Amino acid sequence: MTQVRLDSVRKQFGNFVAIENLDLDISSGELVALLGPSGCGKTTTLRMISGLERPSNGAIFFDGKDVSEQAVQDRNVGMVFQRYALFPHMTVEKNVAFGPSVRGESKAEIARRIDEILEVVQLTPFRTRFPAQLSGGQMQRVAVARTLITKPSILMMDEPLANLDTKLRVEMRRFIRDLQQQFGITTIFVTHDQIEAMELADRVAVIFDGQLAQYDTPERIYRYPRSLDVADFMGATNIFPGKLLSRKRVSTALGELDCPHQNDRSVGDPVHVLLRAEALDINTGPFTSEGSGLRGRIRARDFFGASVTYRVTCNDQEIDVTENARRMLDVGDDVQLEIAPEQVWLLSA
Amino acid sequence: MTARERRTRILQLLQLIPILSVLVILFGGALVMALLQSLGFAPWFGINTFPDFSYFGSLWGSQTFWVSLWLTLYYATVSTLLALVFGTMLALALIKAFPGKWLYKYLYKLPLMIPYTVGIALAVIMLSSGGVLSRIVAFAGLIDDPGQFPQILKTHYGWGIIAVYVWKQTPFITLAVYAVLLGIGRETEEAAAILGARRGAIFFRVTLPQILPGIVSSTLICFAFNVGAFEAPFILGGGFPDTLPVVAWRYFNDADYTLQLQGMATVVSIGIVAGVILFAYLWVYRRYERRMGRH
Repeated sequence: MTQVRLDSVRKQFGNFVAIENLDLDISSGELVALLGPSGCGKTTTLRMISGLERPSNGAIFFDGKDVSEQAVQDRNVGMVFQRYALFPHMTVEKNVAFGPSVRGESKAEIARRIDEILEVVQLTPFRTRFPAQLSGGQMQRVAVARTLITKPSILMMDEPLANLDTKLRVEMRRFIRDLQQQFGITTIFVTHDQIEAMELADRVAVIFDGQLAQYDTPERIYRYPRSLDVADFMGATNIFPGKLLSRKRVSTALGELDCPHQNDRSVGDPVHVLLRAEALDINTGPFTSEGSGLRGRIRARDFFGASVTYRVTCNDQEIDVTENARRMLDVGDDVQLEIAPEQVWLLSA
Repeated sequence: MTARERRTRILQLLQLIPILSVLVILFGGALVMALLQSLGFAPWFGINTFPDFSYFGSLWGSQTFWVSLWLTLYYATVSTLLALVFGTMLALALIKAFPGKWLYKYLYKLPLMIPYTVGIALAVIMLSSGGVLSRIVAFAGLIDDPGQFPQILKTHYGWGIIAVYVWKQTPFITLAVYAVLLGIGRETEEAAAILGARRGAIFFRVTLPQILPGIVSSTLICFAFNVGAFEAPFILGGGFPDTLPVVAWRYFNDADYTLQLQGMATVVSIGIVAGVILFAYLWVYRRYERRMGRH
C-alpha cells in the first residue's frame, strides 16, 4: 500500500515539453487512470513514476519519500507493458521467476511463489509454454504474474485492455479489478480510451498536452466535465452554445431549457450547454407546451442492440438521443425531447 | 498436382536457378577439382596417381603444419572474439540516444567501405617500428628512439593481423547486432530493470539471448573469412611458420608447379577444419535455440 504524489513534475525531451507542471495525488490502494489522446504525455508520466524516465523538474513522492533520484531497480514498482514485453526466450515460469531470481531469493521460495501466483492468474497448465505459444490474454496474465510475484508497492499498466477482443476485455477487466482488490495495491494505468478508463478506474486523470485537465471519479468526469475539451474527449456529442436567461434558465438554438441553479454565473453569461444523449427522454405525444420540451423530428437511427441512438432535428439543430431499445421509433417521426433540469450541465464558454 | 500448382512450382525453380547454378557449377565444381588434385589427380601436369593420400600424409605429418593450423585458428578466433565484444558494445551504445549520434552512426561504418589492403597499409604506417605510433611515443619521450618501440607487426602474436581484422569486422558485427537490437526494442530490458535486474543481469539474461541470432551469424561469417584470409597474415604476419592460407599460396607460387597438389591438400585441409568448426558451432547454437523454444 503506497501513496503516490507528483509535485509540479515537468518533463522535457530536447525542445519538446511532454509534461508541464503536473500535480497528482494518488491514494494508497487506489486505481487511477491517466487518460488522454496519444502524445499527451500520459505514458511519460507513467515512465517517470516507474523510474524509467527522470523528471526534468519537480519531484515524485512514494509515501512522502522523494524517489525522483532513485534508480528504477530500487523503487519496487511493477509495470505491465502494452505489448507485455515478455522475455521471448523464457518459458512462462522462467518469465515469472525472473524478478525474485535477480533479487537473489532462494530457489525453494521462488518455486513456492510461482505455484501460488500461477494459480492466481490461472496459468498453471501453461507454465512450460513459451510466450509465442500463448494467446494475447494469456500473455497479459503472464505479464501481470511476473510483476505481482515481486510484491510491488505500485502496479502500473500501459493500455491494459487495448490489445484484447471484446469478450476478453470484460474478463480481463474483472480480473484486474479482483486482483487489485485482493492485493490492495495502488494501481495506475494509462489509456487513450475513455470507456476503458471509466470501466476500471476509481479516479481518472484527464491529461491534454502535458497538462492535467481534470482529476475526478469517472462518473463526475463523464457527467460534469470541467471544460469543452474534457467533454469532447469523454464522447459528449450534444454541446450547444447558449446564454443564461436567469440563474435557472438558459437559451440555446434548440430552445429554452431549465438548468440547475448557477451560483457562480450571472445572467447574460455565454455558456456551453451539455446534454448527454442518454439523459434525454423521447416523448411521442400528445405533446405538452410546458417545461423543457423541445419539439423535433427523427432524422436517423443507429441500432446497437441493447440501445438505440436517434438523431433528432430541433430548430435546425441536430441532437443525439440514446435510449434502451425497448421500442423502435421510425425516421420521420415527430417527437418531443424532455430533460430534467439536473441533467443539464453548463460549461464556461 | 493441378496446373496452377505446377506453374507455381516451375516459377519457384526458375527463381532458384541463378544461385543454384553458381553453387553447383562454380563452387561445387571447384570443390571437386580441389579434392581430386589433392588426391593426386592432375593429368595436365602429367601427374595422375589418384587416389593418393601422400599429399595429405606429408602435410599432416609435418610439425609445422600443426603450428600453422594453430596460428590460423588463433588469429581467427581472437580477432572474431575481440570484434564481437567491441561490436556488441558499440551496438548497445548506438541504441541509446546521445548527442552527435547521427555522425557516429556514419563514422563507425567507415572501415566497412575501406578495402582490407588499405587497412593493412594503415597498420604498416601506424604500428610498424619506425611507424607513426613509435615516433609519437619517442617524441613524447617515453622511449629514446623509435627503434626501441615494441614490435607489433611481423611477430607470431599477430597483433597487426588481429588489429586489421578487428578494425574491419567490428562495424560489421555492430551492424548485424544493431539491426537485431532495433528489432527487439527496449521494452524487455526496461521490464527487466523494473523487475529489479541490474545492468549485468539485464545484458546476460535478457539482451544477449535475444541478440544471439545476430551474433552467431555475424561471427560465423567473420570467423570463416579470418580462417581463409591471406593478405593480412602474409604482409603483417611473423613469417615461417605461416598461417595455412599463406602456406597454400607459397605452394601455388612455387616454381615447381607439381607442388600445386600439395597446395590443394592445404586448401582442402583449411576447408575441412573450418567446416568442422563452423558446423560444430552451429550445432551447439541450434541445440541452445531448441532449448529456448525456437525452431
